Amino acid sequence: MNSVGEACTELKREYDQCFNRWFAEKFLKGESDGDPCGQLFKRYQLCVQKAIKEKDIPIEGLEFMGPSKGKTENSS
Amino acid sequence: MKIWSSEHVFGHPWDTVIKAAMRKYPNPMNPCVVGVDVLDRSLDKQGRLHSHRLLSTEWGLPSIVKAILGTSRTLTYIEEHSVVDPVEKKMELCSTNITLTNLVSVDERLVYTPHPENPEKTVLTQEAIITVKGISLSSYLESLMANTISSNARKLALCSSCGHWEELQRGLLKVEGSGHAYFAGFSALAKALAVNASHSEK
Repeated sequence: MNSVGEACTELKREYDQCFNRWFAEKFLKGESDGDPCGQLFKRYQLCVQKAIKEKDIPIEGLEFMGPSKGKTENSS
Repeated sequence: MKIWSSEHVFGHPWDTVIKAAMRKYPNPMNPCVVGVDVLDRSLDKQGRLHSHRLLSTEWGLPSIVKAILGTSRTLTYIEEHSVVDPVEKKMELCSTNITLTNLVSVDERLVYTPHPENPEKTVLTQEAIITVKGISLSSYLESLMANTISSNARKLALCSSCGHWEELQRGLLKVEGSGHAYFAGFSALAKALAVNASHSEK
C-alpha cells in the first residue's frame, strides 16, 4: 500500500511492519507497555506532513496547518 | 440527508477480526484505495489506542463527471479516527470525506464488538449519513446512494465461516461495502450525475 507522498512509502512500510507486529502480539494481548515504533513513526510522519502540505490536502488540526478550513468551504 | 445502517456477523473472534481490519489495505476487492497513511497515533490513559488516518482514493471518474464537478482531480481523501479498546474489546471507526465536500458529505461509523451470545463471533455495526448538496436532485441522489450501499451490503455474502486469513480480509471488505460507504455511494453519485448530464443535453 502506498503513502500519499510517494517518497514516504518505504518509511510507511517500515513503520507499518513494526506497528502490526506490536498491535497483534502485544497490544491486543493486554501488554501495551510502551510503543517500540516511536522513532520509525516520527520519520514517517515528518515525510507525510510535508506531502500533505505540498498537495494542499485539507486536514484540520495538524500543527503545521494555517487557519483551519471549514468543511463546507472545500471545493475539491 | 439520508441515513443508512447495517449489522453483520463474522464467524471469527474479535481479536482476529480487528487484526484483519487494521490491515485491510491493499485489497484487490477495493482497488480504489491507493494510499493509507497514519497521521497520528497514541495510547490514552485507559490503554485505548487512538489512530488518525488519511485514505487516498482514486475514483477513475468519467470525464463528463469531472466536467460537472469542475475539477480534473480524481483523487479524493477520507479522514478516519479510530479507537481500539483491548479490554472492553471494542473498535470504533469514524470517517468522513474531506474532498468533494461542496458536493457531498458521507459520515460513517463502524463498531466491532464480540457477539453477545458467542465470543467466537464478532458483530460489525455500520452507519452512514449521506448529504448531497447544491444539486436540485439532492433527495433523489441521497436515496440512490443509500440504496446502493444497502443493496451492496445485502448482496455480498457474509463471511460467516471464513477458514482463511485472506478470505476473512476479503470478506471484511465485502461486508463493509468495499471498505467504506463512500465507494458504493460515490460510484452511484457519479453514475447519476453522468445520467443527469446526458439527459440535460438532449
